[in-house]
Amino acid sequence: METLDEFLEFVYRETGLEVAPAQADASFDDLAGWDSVYLLALLTALEKKTGHRVSLTDALEARSLADIYRTEATR
Amino acid sequence: MDELGVRILAAGTALPGPLIDNATLAKRFELTSLWEEWVDTFVGNRGRHLARDLKTGEIQCTLADLCTTAGGRALTAAGLEPGQVDLMVLASASPDALMPATVNLVADRLGIDGVPTYQLLSGCTGAVQALDVAHKMMLTGRYRTALVLGGDSIAKHFDIDADLSKQSAAEAINGVLFGDGAGAAVLSTDPVPGTSTLRHVSVQLVGRGRPPGQTLEWFGQAELTSGRPPVTEDYKAIEASVPAMTVEAFNDLLGELDWEEEDVDYLLPPQLSGRMTERIIGELSLDRAQNVNCVAEIGNTGNSTPFFQLELAIPRMAAGDRAVAVSVESSKWIKAAFALEVS
Repeated sequence: METLDEFLEFVYRETGLEVAPAQADASFDDLAGWDSVYLLALLTALEKKTGHRVSLTDALEARSLADIYRTEATR
Repeated sequence: MDELGVRILAAGTALPGPLIDNATLAKRFELTSLWEEWVDTFVGNRGRHLARDLKTGEIQCTLADLCTTAGGRALTAAGLEPGQVDLMVLASASPDALMPATVNLVADRLGIDGVPTYQLLSGCTGAVQALDVAHKMMLTGRYRTALVLGGDSIAKHFDIDADLSKQSAAEAINGVLFGDGAGAAVLSTDPVPGTSTLRHVSVQLVGRGRPPGQTLEWFGQAELTSGRPPVTEDYKAIEASVPAMTVEAFNDLLGELDWEEEDVDYLLPPQLSGRMTERIIGELSLDRAQNVNCVAEIGNTGNSTPFFQLELAIPRMAAGDRAVAVSVESSKWIKAAFALEVS
């Protein structure tokens, strides 16, 4: 995905969670509604889209959706 | 005159087929290592047993088969014959059929007849409800030996041809959480030395005004294409409510018996998932009690769970030991608990 906006649209399509660009850097603890099930849905969708295996251990280093975008969505 | 007491003489359990670990499920349904890592990290269930063969799709055993095996094992462990049973109560959320009730098929196979039999329809607290019914009926003095059973099977809901990659994450999780199984306990009013007395059983609905946290449908001939989802779970509500309900049920039971936390030698907590059970144990934070868990190994087995826990706890308990079991059900929010003491 080229831009963060595209990534956030992708997040919405795959999880149903609407996240404004201003919230992309919010920590997951502060992101309303976010939980581990959404994380699984998002990471699974990213694997399919990018064709790259996602390591959960690595993904858990991410503290925000923006972190996931930077490390996983731009591969 | 000694007060009539109800003792648990023995427990017995049954599991279908081989243990199916997460790697086997992942391979069978073409799920990636990400899924396995996620299950290990966030669910904490390592295995389960399933009545439906994952390769052929055939149901290898029915709930009646499992309950019959469990009931037979409990009776053998108690040193009793089926003909000595004068009361049966079975709880399940997934009976093989609405009629005839599974309890009556089990009675038939065990050779039990001419006695009252009851079947309760409920989720995880059903087993405790069944113990409650048997306990209260036996305290009337009219029944001497009860066979109480609980079991569940997800076979009717486990579509082996489903493309799990197309399911929502929440739907796919159910396949990981649950396992099939059956359990039974033999209750007696005979004062058998070395056995534990059922000191108290409580069941309480606390769901007034609350939306269900879990639904499970059955479909008649006119509804087979209704499109309604057979199973729904509000896992966020479950995560938010179950630990607190467990603590309440535990404290209420202690209050009823005038026991202190340090009086509890064994805790049999709700077994929803490995991680949820760890969280519940953390919130109860009991210094002395040994925890009796099985969910990580065999999954959430619904109405059979307390019997698996009893089967583990009973051999460990010595004279004077006390155990508290808690069960919480999210269908319409029910708290249940029971306490044992070895005299």
